[in-house]
Amino acid sequence: MQKPAFSSILIGLLLVAGLVLPALAYETPESIVAAGKVYVSNTTYDPAVFFTGDTGTVTYTVSNGNTDLGVVVNHATLSEPNQKFRILDGTHQNSAQIGPGKSQTFTFTVIAEGSEGFYYPTFSLGFRDANSLFSKQMVQIDNTPLLLTVIDKPDAFTKDKKKMIYLQVANPRKNSVKNAYLEMTGDGASFTPTQVFIGEVAAGAKIPVNFSVAPGQETTLHLTLHYDNGDNPHSVTMDLPIIFGPDKKAASPIMSNVQVENLGGVWHVTGDVNNGGLETANTVLVTSLSPAVPEDPYKVYVVGALKPDDFGSFEITFSAENTETVPIRLSYKDADGNVYETVQDVKISATSINVPAGAGGGLPIVPMAAGLVIVVLFIGGWVYYLKRYKK
Amino acid sequence: MSISIPDILIRPEAFFDNALAEKENLTVPALIILLGSIVAAIYGYLMGGLSAKMMAGMMPGMDSIILISAVAGAFVGTFIFWIIVAAVFYLISLAFKGQGSFSRVMEVVGYGYLPQVLGSLITLIAAIEYLPKVTVPILTKSALDNPEAIEAAMKTFMHDPAMVELTQITTLVAIVFMLWSAHIWIFGIKKARNISMRDSAICVGIPIVLYVLYLIHNLGAL
Repeated sequence: MQKPAFSSILIGLLLVAGLVLPALAYETPESIVAAGKVYVSNTTYDPAVFFTGDTGTVTYTVSNGNTDLGVVVNHATLSEPNQKFRILDGTHQNSAQIGPGKSQTFTFTVIAEGSEGFYYPTFSLGFRDANSLFSKQMVQIDNTPLLLTVIDKPDAFTKDKKKMIYLQVANPRKNSVKNAYLEMTGDGASFTPTQVFIGEVAAGAKIPVNFSVAPGQETTLHLTLHYDNGDNPHSVTMDLPIIFGPDKKAASPIMSNVQVENLGGVWHVTGDVNNGGLETANTVLVTSLSPAVPEDPYKVYVVGALKPDDFGSFEITFSAENTETVPIRLSYKDADGNVYETVQDVKISATSINVPAGAGGGLPIVPMAAGLVIVVLFIGGWVYYLKRYKK
Repeated sequence: MSISIPDILIRPEAFFDNALAEKENLTVPALIILLGSIVAAIYGYLMGGLSAKMMAGMMPGMDSIILISAVAGAFVGTFIFWIIVAAVFYLISLAFKGQGSFSRVMEVVGYGYLPQVLGSLITLIAAIEYLPKVTVPILTKSALDNPEAIEAAMKTFMHDPAMVELTQITTLVAIVFMLWSAHIWIFGIKKARNISMRDSAICVGIPIVLYVLYLIHNLGAL
């Protein structure tokens, strides 16, 4: 058997050394000093404050404070002894060189599994030519949600009448949330707008949110405020009962000073409409209903808009037979175009007949004088005739 | 004897000289009164129609009752007027020792009513012209319990401008033709009751002038 040559053995040793040596630390006083100038310059949690169950990222920025030496780092890990923060992804096993004055980021995907509180995950980074770097940065788990509060709403609702509801979204958390929007649902209710996009809500901020609702029936509105904490969707809900009742602020046109007169078989009803409400009554119309038959010239009388405490006069004409009362309809619109009607019966009995103004006023001088002249002529003529007859 | 209508109207003295020389005969006077009552009934129908319209809503059938009453009242009323006027003339003439019979007085009054038939025709034409313009208030059932309502409705009805104008026209026409009748009656009563012309003028003139003054007073009360 032929013995290997000494040169071949030497080459083999050099090759093995070439493969193995780079993996070995060359710890020198200089490299240890250089590693001491490498530090974690920044730590960023996204989201900044977690809800339990949120996933997010944590990014460590490692800076090389040396001005003339690069450092080789490897095996960056993140750990939390109590497993309240668990790494889902991002352990860095590769070597990397951080040049003098340069920085390198290490990002980990984590999930918050602990309850509310403060936690300190440990970031460790190994140096090729020195020991490891360790860093603990605080992170908080806070399950406080956004607040959705009612600022103002009507005391009572009216069927199909659009009413505004004023809400406020407040963020009591230490971090901002994004993509916030309000979603409204309710049986038989229509909303304007159908959803309200709010966007980002900064920590400690409060944002007004308004929408109008037109309920078709008594129901419960379900309000859901959606938002993202980081990339984690969250929501808060609120139920708002819709109960019908008298609207204390609504316009309230009232007919008064109603007078009835019959002229030529056509009834003339005149009166005033006073707005006793607190809102403007628009397009106030007055007309008669069956059994009355509206007649010209005032089949329908348009009073127009009546502001609160304002009033307007009206006159309607109609014919009616075999009835003592006639329903008079007064309709108006609110600012949203909703039509409201009230019906008031007006008595058209004979007690309401008015003697036309001026009737019976003054003596009919001409016909009376004519009658007297005729009588005088008659008497005078006969007196004259009798005198002549006597002669 | 032939009846000359122009003589009755224009020459009553001559007419009665002839007519009353004959035996008493109420046929022609009754026909004149009948003619007048027919015209009056038509006028009553027109006026009653308005009243019926006003009160039709008070009670079912009220309009028919009012219409029939108005027509019958006007028709019969003319005959009653004939009798009453004759009675008044007869009674007053007793003070002047009048001697003719009551039926003779009725005959005279009947003939003398002829101008009023003409006057009724004129008022009928006026009524046809004016009544459609009258505004009629409508009374309803509740008016049955409210006499003030009926009074107010009647006042409204009577004070309607067209109604006032019609009333003034018919009153003046009635005065003229009533005095025309009185003129005829003076000659007739003189013959019928065999009294002087002066006494006859007093017998006829006083009640008729009083009646005419009453009509003038009513004009002022409108």
